[in-house]
Amino acid sequence: MGKKKKKTDAGGNGKSFRQLMFRDRYLLYMLIPVVIYYLVFCYLPMTGLIMAFNQYQVGSGFLGIYTSRFVGLKWFRQFFGSIYLPRLVRNTFLLQFYSLIFGFPIPILFAIAVTQIGSLRLQKSVQVCTYLPYFISTVVVCGMINNFLSPTGGIINQLLNKAGIDSINFMNLPQWFRPVYVISGSWQTFGFNSIIFVAAIMGISPDLYEAMRVDGANRRQIIWHLVLPSIRPTIILLLIMSLGTMMSVGFEKVYLLYNTAVYETADVIQTYVYRQGIQSNNYSYATAVGLFNSVINFAIVFTANRISRRVSDTAIW
Amino acid sequence: MKKKLLTLMLAAAMTAGMLAGCGGGVATMPSTETVDAAIESAQAKADDSGFTYTGEAPITKSGGTLKILAQTSNYSNVDITKAPIVLKVFEEAGVDPDWQLLDFNSYEEAITPMLSAGNVDADIIKLPDNDPNQIWLKSGMFVPLDEYFDYMPNFTKWLSENPVQKAELTAEDGHIYYVAGVNLAYDYQPCLMYNQVWLDKAGMKAPETLDELVKLLTYFKENDMNGDGKTDDEIPMSVAAEFLPYMFGPAFGLDLVSGYQADQDGNMIFAAADPENYRAYLDFLRDLYAQGLLEMEYTSIDRDKIIERMSNDLTGVAFDYSWAMSMMYSNVLPYYDGTEKTAFVGVKPLSGTHEGFYVGRNSLSGMFGVNSDSSQIELAVKFLDYAMSEHCQDYYCWGFEGETYTVNADGSRSYTEQALDNDWLQQFGINPAFVLPAQQSVEATDILVADWHAKINAELRQYVVDPWPMIYATTDESDTVNLYNEDIQTNVNENATAFIMGTKDLNTEFDGYINGLDALNLGELVQIHQNQYDRYLKALKGE
Repeated sequence: MGKKKKKTDAGGNGKSFRQLMFRDRYLLYMLIPVVIYYLVFCYLPMTGLIMAFNQYQVGSGFLGIYTSRFVGLKWFRQFFGSIYLPRLVRNTFLLQFYSLIFGFPIPILFAIAVTQIGSLRLQKSVQVCTYLPYFISTVVVCGMINNFLSPTGGIINQLLNKAGIDSINFMNLPQWFRPVYVISGSWQTFGFNSIIFVAAIMGISPDLYEAMRVDGANRRQIIWHLVLPSIRPTIILLLIMSLGTMMSVGFEKVYLLYNTAVYETADVIQTYVYRQGIQSNNYSYATAVGLFNSVINFAIVFTANRISRRVSDTAIW
Repeated sequence: MKKKLLTLMLAAAMTAGMLAGCGGGVATMPSTETVDAAIESAQAKADDSGFTYTGEAPITKSGGTLKILAQTSNYSNVDITKAPIVLKVFEEAGVDPDWQLLDFNSYEEAITPMLSAGNVDADIIKLPDNDPNQIWLKSGMFVPLDEYFDYMPNFTKWLSENPVQKAELTAEDGHIYYVAGVNLAYDYQPCLMYNQVWLDKAGMKAPETLDELVKLLTYFKENDMNGDGKTDDEIPMSVAAEFLPYMFGPAFGLDLVSGYQADQDGNMIFAAADPENYRAYLDFLRDLYAQGLLEMEYTSIDRDKIIERMSNDLTGVAFDYSWAMSMMYSNVLPYYDGTEKTAFVGVKPLSGTHEGFYVGRNSLSGMFGVNSDSSQIELAVKFLDYAMSEHCQDYYCWGFEGETYTVNADGSRSYTEQALDNDWLQQFGINPAFVLPAQQSVEATDILVADWHAKINAELRQYVVDPWPMIYATTDESDTVNLYNEDIQTNVNENATAFIMGTKDLNTEFDGYINGLDALNLGELVQIHQNQYDRYLKALKGE
């Protein structure tokens, strides 16, 4: 009886769970496609992780994933014994780490700057111009990067030559891969990534701005004491989500930009999985490497969430 | 000593090639007993409708549709499904095609996951490769064709006449799973080409040694070869990274194309782990790079870029498949007039510490198998048999009399005026190896290319040696090769680039590279190739 009462109380307004379901049925209907999406494309494929512990026989089809010979931790031992393990982990981590360090603050700063523009038309124009690169296909962006940075005829090297500097073979020198990747990535995404911050800033009550102005605050003080604290939960939320992909470098871009000359800094877990899995048919081994990557991702986001909760009382769960 | 050793090794390889070429009853590794017995007992058999296929069209009286998974033409303006030759084959056979064609350039990458998943909805499938590690045939996805030899009179005849290819196609379990296309193995192979106009302008002959090449490249780099008044826009050599091993490996006694090679005692070595010759090879390329004779961007240069340079008369040396000589490179030169004097011309291979050679191709290529999930296996088998018949091969090489060729008074053939337009001929479906098991012909190719090109090909044939033979790996061997090969290739490729570009010091880091290969279990792969080669030699001796 007590239990039932508690359940009813939890439902709110004295309505039973069934009544609440009925009341919100249209919202729940709308939720169905999302649930199906996650089940089919996220949770169901997870069962395929069993491949990491099997010797998958190519051509054995979908059921072969579950019926192949069990080999325990063979593929993990193989990967942990690989001379490429440290390099892959380092490259994957550093590419994302640098992208985060340099790429994360830029949309915030841009959002603050753009919301300070007085003219609404100018503000919109600037926003549209900065969103555009996001919609260029990765293949095209990589083609542009290769052309611009070519040591023979690339515009960047032509400018360097005019400044009396020798051409730099950007795309074939390992030390240039990370800067090229991070800078081009930031250029392509900062406008689009700023949308959520712009929205958060726009959500700040005008009364608060007014109150600060009445108190004599200048623009810098408003940004520091009002804007930044107001969007702090958004920043932390997005930061934690970004940390969740710390070990998930965008495969396509690395694959399109790298070559054997820059493997030392460019070869990441995802490209290695691609070469082992798709190109060499070692699906079980590739799955084991991918699973290892996901476990690290999970550990990072879990840790980040705990730290965030302790430090700022803001957390995803 | 090394030179002597390699000469002996090459002599052995060429002898083996000659033996194979003569079709001297050589049987390779797995026993062909099962196949031989199937050929022996094959008898034309009536299908369900009572029709008996005897090797000639039609293959059925009841019609039908065959689903075919293959690749598009390598010519982007050619729709191979509408090519008259391809349509004719299906029309004669009495079946309709239901095509599923994947892009030529990414075929391997696109079809591999499909095959791996094992749920391909097609009756006939073109494989992404020759299946050297028996990955696909072990998957059970393909029908053992020898169980259907009653329906394959043309294929069984061809196998009987070509015992080497029969043995090469026979898998570890004694069955044959694929009908193969046949490449030109010694003709029109990748070769070195020079811009003849530039050569003449430099007053030099085509280099035959590495030293002569360096001298020529330096001259090209320092002089205004294209006459535009500038001496800094010439790019002496335009060669894609993938062709450097073809071009320079032999001069150091290395077959880096095949990867593995045997010395005169039959001992296997991995060419990119040869402590002396491979080091010398890298040292030479490093010097070329340092002098600016091998361009900074050599790792990312592709054919499109090379063609663009040639059309602007910016480069003097190339290395590519022979067909590119007159069909892709020469004809974009601004001054090409159809003669050898104004073209990019192929020459003999470069020699260095060793006598140069070109690496040929395995004759078998373009494997077609019948899906074991197909509901019409017999029809698919019959179609493959008909599609590889001599009758159809004649179509593939020559097309139709009166349209693409005419028969001369002496019985020889000539392409018609229209067929000499390569674009038109490709659209007609000549050599449709993308969708059917076509066998290439030297005679037809000679007529297709410029006269001077055919003459050069005839001269270069003597320098072509056999590649690593096609030997199916055993199950254990293929498991090990699949496991280690990718890491080893990655290591070789990136270290080669690092040594050539100077980001790694050849003097101090080469030994570490060799040790690194050992750590990647290269020893096991060398032993596997040794075993395979021993089996091959044993079979050559008829043991």
